[in-house]
Amino acid sequence: MSALEFVRKTLAYAFLLLVTFLMCFPLIWALSTSLKPARDVMATPPRLIPSEVTFANYRNLILGKEQYFRADQTYVPTTAAPQHFTTWFANSVIVSAGSTLISIVISTLAAYSITRFRYWGRRIIPYFSLLGYMIPSIILVFPMFMVMSGLALTNSLWSLTFGYVSITLPFCMWLLWAFFRGIPIELEEAALMDGASRLRVFVDIVLPSALPGIIAAAIFSLIVSWNDFLFARVFINSIENLPLTVGVMHFFEGVHVDWGLMMASAVLMTLPMAVLFMLMQRHLVAGFGAGAVKG
Amino acid sequence: MSAESSPADWKKADTRIGILFVIPFAIAALLFMVYPVIEAVRLSFYEHNPLRPEASEFIGLENFRTIFEDALFWKSFQQAAVWTFCSIVLQTLIGVSLALLLHLPLRGISIFRGLLLFPYIVPTVVIALIMQWMLNAEIGVVNWSLKSAGLIDENIYWLATPSMAMLSTIFLNVWKYTPFVTICVLARLQTIPLELYDAAKVDGAGGFRRFLDVTLPQLAEVLTVVVIFRTIWTFNKFEEIYLLTKGGPGTSTFNLAIYSFEQSVANLRMGVGAAVGVVMMFLLFAGSLIYMRVFRFDEDDTA
Repeated sequence: MSALEFVRKTLAYAFLLLVTFLMCFPLIWALSTSLKPARDVMATPPRLIPSEVTFANYRNLILGKEQYFRADQTYVPTTAAPQHFTTWFANSVIVSAGSTLISIVISTLAAYSITRFRYWGRRIIPYFSLLGYMIPSIILVFPMFMVMSGLALTNSLWSLTFGYVSITLPFCMWLLWAFFRGIPIELEEAALMDGASRLRVFVDIVLPSALPGIIAAAIFSLIVSWNDFLFARVFINSIENLPLTVGVMHFFEGVHVDWGLMMASAVLMTLPMAVLFMLMQRHLVAGFGAGAVKG
Repeated sequence: MSAESSPADWKKADTRIGILFVIPFAIAALLFMVYPVIEAVRLSFYEHNPLRPEASEFIGLENFRTIFEDALFWKSFQQAAVWTFCSIVLQTLIGVSLALLLHLPLRGISIFRGLLLFPYIVPTVVIALIMQWMLNAEIGVVNWSLKSAGLIDENIYWLATPSMAMLSTIFLNVWKYTPFVTICVLARLQTIPLELYDAAKVDGAGGFRRFLDVTLPQLAEVLTVVVIFRTIWTFNKFEEIYLLTKGGPGTSTFNLAIYSFEQSVANLRMGVGAAVGVVMMFLLFAGSLIYMRVFRFDEDDTA
């Protein structure tokens, strides 16, 4: 390695480190705040590395319910919110997983159908979906609310599950259509000629080759439904049916905002997405390649 | 790669299975996509108070007249345009630079890729919470840093001064969506044939020249797609602004989505809110038409 090249590489790494630090700083700062004892949170000058690491904020969120109803309250939260945290978390998991499951099953079947069968109208489905996934939630949310009141589902987790299907289904459809189109059909045809049933072919040949596409679509669907604030804000009015996104806003209700607690909930809320991201980074890029991202 | 080329009996026989497979989608699409849009358009012609749904009344184009005569509608429109323009320009510039940086053949670059793309999957609510904490005027780390660096003397009220609030929401949007641009550009960079660079090198082109002559033309297409899509989506964003400033202080960070939300929820004028939605859809379809015109992407459909 020549001296010039060494200098260049060192500069490149230094620059990369700086950029990464800046981009990740908000997250690092949130993590740092969440691990500080209460006296450190407000301290001037603020310290990046806590003088002492404490998991009190996390404990208060996770055990909030238990603590709230205990007679000898050692911890008095500034708002009633922490006692609901675990419920909100569970709600978020349920509605994200539920809507993703529904969207994926429906769009996988449909994507197979429109790429392998010939009937009137199949060609417009992907373009129709593309238009559908460009429609912003703010337009869908109130009519969807009326649909939900018609079905007597408002203020339930079902309303959110179906509400998220309206956002996630179109782009799952678009992404999976693009993906199914790229799967060579010869293998399926050979199996069908050999007398295998359609269902057999679908389960044994098509699904395994479509798996990367299905995983990518599922990740995006999970991210989108985990992220939603607007549908939950409009559909749900009882505190125990809220997902995390709207729930954590209750932390602002106290006289003093408990920033340590707030940042701990921000970290916990990001954690499932971070795990998904790390596990699925490969598929994520594949999904972006298909050009189907709601953002 | 089309099914019609091979003539076999099994194909005709099970078209029925094909239709059966698409039925769930058809039902879900009608119920959760088509109907809400039709309902949104219908509402825009009605006076509708969610607390008194029985008193709903057809009023023709009155809602559209209301919004077009409302100064706040135009102010929101203008602010949305400023917000979108600044966000897109910054996202594209930073996004492309990051992609070029992450494309360098360095050891361990995949770790940096992962870290730099991460903000994209951080929930908007989380980003908004963190920014409210960092931008807190009295105890926020941003003001403290600026003060200790000697750049400012007085605390800046980031979320309580109109221009600063606008700046903060732009910052949030740029931070969250720059990785999207980076991923798209990075994916494209990896497919540029190396021969093109070798040829340019033989011709004696320097690094910057090679970027202008080889890289940029190759990126033109993906950048057009990204800019069109991001413009459409950014213009219609709700949460990115609402969660940080609620459209405030005053109405200084209102965009059309927040204007529509406030009309529907705070003023209980769902017809007016829906009319704003129809205007937004109109703009969106115009944007999509540009996209389809630019790429004529329905012509290569062989399936």
